[in-house]
Amino acid sequence: MLAYALRRTLWVIPTVLAVITVCYLMLHATPGGPFDTEKHLSAATLANLNAKYHLDQPLWKQYLLYLNALLHGDLGPSVRYVDWSVNDLVSKALPVSLGVGGLSVPIALVIGVLLGTAAAVRRDGITDRIVMLLGNVGNVIPPFVLGPILVWVFAILLKRSDGHGWLPAGGWGDGGWRYRVLPMALLVIINVSSIARVMRGSMIEVLSGNFIRTARAKGMPGHVIVLRHALKPALMPVVSLLGSICISSITAAVVTESVFALPGLGQLVVDGAINRDYTLVLGLVVLTTVTAVVFNLLVDLAYAWLDPRIRY
Amino acid sequence: MNTSPSTTAPTAAAAPRRSRSPLELAFRHFLRNRAALVSLVILGLIIIACFVGPLFLSNDPTANDWGAISIPPTLSGQHWFGTDELGRDLLVRTLAGGRVSLEVGLLGTLVSGLIGVAWGATAGYIGGRTDAVMMRIVDMMYAIPYMLIAILMMTLLGRAFYLVVLTISAFSWLDMARVVRGQTLSLRTREFIDAARATGVSTPGIILRHIVPNLLGVVVVYATVTVPGIVLTESVLSFLGLGVQEPMTSWGVLINDGAQKLESMPWLLLCPAVMLCVTLYCVNFVGDGLRDALDTKER
Amino acid sequence: MKLSHSLTAVLSAITLTFAGAASAVTVPPGTSLAAKQELTRQVPTEVESLDPAHIESWTGDTIGLDLFEGLTRISAAGAVVPGVAESWTRTAPDTWVFKLRHDAKWSNGQPVTAADFIYSWQRVLDPKTGSKYTILLEFVKGAKAILAGKAPLTSLAARAVDPYTLEVKTEVPAAFFTELTAMPAMAPVNKATVDKFGDSWTRPGNLVSNGPYTLTDWEPNNRIVMVKDNNYWNAQHVVITKVTYVPVESDETAMRMYQSGQIDYTYSIPSGIYAQVSKQFGKELQTGVQLATYFYSLNNSDPAFHDPRVRQALSMVIDRDLLTSKLTQAGEVPMYGLIAKGTKGAAVYTPDWASWPMAKRVDYARGLLKAAGYSDAHPLTFTLTYNTNDLHKKVALFSTSEWRTKLGVNAKLENVEYKVLLSERHAGKVQASRDGWFVDYNDAMSYFDQLRCGGVQNDLHFCDPKVDALVDQANAQLDDQKRTALLTQAHNLAMSETPLIALFQYSADRLVKPYVGGYQPTNYVDQRASQDMYLLAH
Repeated sequence: MLAYALRRTLWVIPTVLAVITVCYLMLHATPGGPFDTEKHLSAATLANLNAKYHLDQPLWKQYLLYLNALLHGDLGPSVRYVDWSVNDLVSKALPVSLGVGGLSVPIALVIGVLLGTAAAVRRDGITDRIVMLLGNVGNVIPPFVLGPILVWVFAILLKRSDGHGWLPAGGWGDGGWRYRVLPMALLVIINVSSIARVMRGSMIEVLSGNFIRTARAKGMPGHVIVLRHALKPALMPVVSLLGSICISSITAAVVTESVFALPGLGQLVVDGAINRDYTLVLGLVVLTTVTAVVFNLLVDLAYAWLDPRIRY
Repeated sequence: MNTSPSTTAPTAAAAPRRSRSPLELAFRHFLRNRAALVSLVILGLIIIACFVGPLFLSNDPTANDWGAISIPPTLSGQHWFGTDELGRDLLVRTLAGGRVSLEVGLLGTLVSGLIGVAWGATAGYIGGRTDAVMMRIVDMMYAIPYMLIAILMMTLLGRAFYLVVLTISAFSWLDMARVVRGQTLSLRTREFIDAARATGVSTPGIILRHIVPNLLGVVVVYATVTVPGIVLTESVLSFLGLGVQEPMTSWGVLINDGAQKLESMPWLLLCPAVMLCVTLYCVNFVGDGLRDALDTKER
Repeated sequence: MKLSHSLTAVLSAITLTFAGAASAVTVPPGTSLAAKQELTRQVPTEVESLDPAHIESWTGDTIGLDLFEGLTRISAAGAVVPGVAESWTRTAPDTWVFKLRHDAKWSNGQPVTAADFIYSWQRVLDPKTGSKYTILLEFVKGAKAILAGKAPLTSLAARAVDPYTLEVKTEVPAAFFTELTAMPAMAPVNKATVDKFGDSWTRPGNLVSNGPYTLTDWEPNNRIVMVKDNNYWNAQHVVITKVTYVPVESDETAMRMYQSGQIDYTYSIPSGIYAQVSKQFGKELQTGVQLATYFYSLNNSDPAFHDPRVRQALSMVIDRDLLTSKLTQAGEVPMYGLIAKGTKGAAVYTPDWASWPMAKRVDYARGLLKAAGYSDAHPLTFTLTYNTNDLHKKVALFSTSEWRTKLGVNAKLENVEYKVLLSERHAGKVQASRDGWFVDYNDAMSYFDQLRCGGVQNDLHFCDPKVDALVDQANAQLDDQKRTALLTQAHNLAMSETPLIALFQYSADRLVKPYVGGYQPTNYVDQRASQDMYLLAH
């Protein structure tokens, strides 16, 4: 198992290389560059800029320069945020995304598993329908509608004594807990719906298995059956989802960050792409790749824990 | 257990009940699920309305009625759902938009489902080096920031309808593949697979005839999670300004526009939003019903 | 309010040639001020840089004006008033002499001298700096050669006659030069700081500035915080003690943050809901015209638009009154020419057909199209390109509908991403596209580069040497009135050939809390310094 984990970790390197190359090519293939501005730059100004950022070099040379810097841990300067390096920007945005997106995943997991299990155990009954109705809200109402609704209720309708909203309507301020509640709530609502549905389906399947029937025949109480015997196998599809949920909640929570004006990673990616800030985008790609590889490895390791028949 | 046709042959000589195929059993089970049935009917009505409805209505989704800008819904006049700020009839736009959203959702799910199941089942069953390579490719595709690719693809290739579907399905098969692979890993250790192998069934045969049918439950559930996901992704793309191009519209575009004008023109949001929510809820319930019906372990 | 307004105007007039303190903010007597003078302002995007050499956007200018101060500055009402320079004289059409005040200090206590300005200007033009926004500096003689790397930095025509006297020569006579010196691109930077910290000299703690505020905190995409600098020469008249800038990209989110009390002052309002916002917020909604033009850029060299009759016909049939009153509804003003109302140095262009009833305009336009060779059997066909944006989509749908229904023109719509539009238009690959122009400084000259034959900003491919000649003639004038008359003539001549279709003048609509004082709607360049504001007790 350890050898397997190590081998998988080594895969980070070729993965990062492949993804960077693809994104690099796509970025340069896309029309429009960082210096295409509404007010056109004079030839001399443009020449100076291209020289400063090595954009006047042939593509392959720029690529190698970038890789070389990357080996030294330097993600390069940002073209769009002139005063900051990509390392700076990523290290400032990462805690925000982790603190909101990352934290929301375990919460969504617990709630989703509970809802899904409850619906499965009482399937086809009224509980099932109600639980599924509530649980699916995040899957049915677009996030850019749900978010503002949350804000409207908790930040505008409900007010503190000083006239300010009970919770902030957006922003990150000093990073206090108040700024995290609503965006986390939004992410939890969205993620709960996928988890609950998959959990329900999976749990129903598991509960109708022979070994469950055996346990029931033996007179084991219901909740013990669910907890001790059904839960682990039922969690398999949910765990499969978790990798992608983590990644999307942390590195790609674009709508959430837009609705709540959060200084996170998703917003940096969009900003970088729109402004053709090549180094910023590639730096974020490196981060996303490493995150994806790590999370997918964890998911695969979790498979082995959940289903002892799976061996690596 | 797997109910292969060979085990349901009637044994008693004078048995009046004829044997039922698994499909028929599934169908009957589904009919008993009231929520799923009602949802299916509603869904059918919505689909018919969206695809055929605009033909029966006098208004065109792109016609501007400058005399009737931003009027609320009125059953008497020409515009039952009201109009938007460019004087376009909301009812016909909601239906036209529904058609686009449904097409995107169904096509996208179909494409991503096919690819995902094929990929995941193959990787999970064959295992070893093949599995490693296939899943590393999945890892790599996961790693690419979706928004980035969406922006770049839309910018580079344009925003024709099929390109929107392509961009969305290009990444939504990944989850399906992972889920399917996970299930396959469990399935392949079961006795009936050993039995099939022992009787000399080829690898593709095992995958197609034994693995995939037993995956259907999870696949169906996951597909019904995917449809709303894809429709919502299209709406998020519209939110970012990358969805379908004018004069085409979709529920995502309409809801996005309506959400901004909620206080002054609430009907702009409510009509398409209600349609979207009802549709997606129906898809969910139908999906659950299908899953229950296709559950081969059902007694 | 009225009293202080005229007082400030009188003071500004006097200080042109006399020494005197131009007050930062004159709080009307009897006003009770809030105990905590802390203002939170929203900007639409994270600032590109706090280094004056790299500031190029409205956001950068706004924040930069709070941190840095140039030779002159823009007052609350939009007039040029003394900054670091307490007086100046134009000794020749192309020569300006600025007398710096002796009490202007950096935030670290060091005095601000003429040498600081020279260093900073040379730095902006230094090819190694890689500055984007060089167009203001290019007005100084010798700048272009330095930028191209063909001349040393010291060849810039700015010299320190003595530590507090700066003499500048401009490339061409520029009556509006003092408008330029107010912008952050021409503000001084502290050489010792830049030398010591290099690329991170703008970090809080490192940054040394000479404006009313100093930087205490900067979290990208989160907030910029600055506090009052007591070393500022006019600190006694600065009321607001702490300013926080919050970058919020979504107008809807900004409005919600305004409602929950987090922001005192937004950048704008969400598009399309002006009437609703007006009803909901009443007087908190501030509207004021801006020196910004919304227009459709026409590729004059494209076969579809080669004929000026076609261009004029397309312009004539658009009902701009309907557009601004019923569709955009945000207080915009219909426009028929490039130069916006409120611009100094030239008058607005209004063709005589602007006052005709629409039916007459349509008839005439149809006649023009027919004369140009188009008919129902052979309709005019072209593509209108716009970048993704709610407002642009609406206006484009409206315009194409007008052309289709009134002229039978087959206008197709194409929606592309912003950068794609910019690069394709510059390469001459689009036919008609949505464009906009926001002045860099308040003078008509800021527009003419788009019309100049072969000009860098000329995406229209318009060329009329007579217009260029009139412009050059105007700039040689020392008499303001003569100059204005000539520039107006040049503009009218150009606009009579309809190289573009101007639609309306943008208005700056935003929400400002009722307890924020000092906000003037007449500031057409929309540069409002925090030092000109104060908070009423609330």
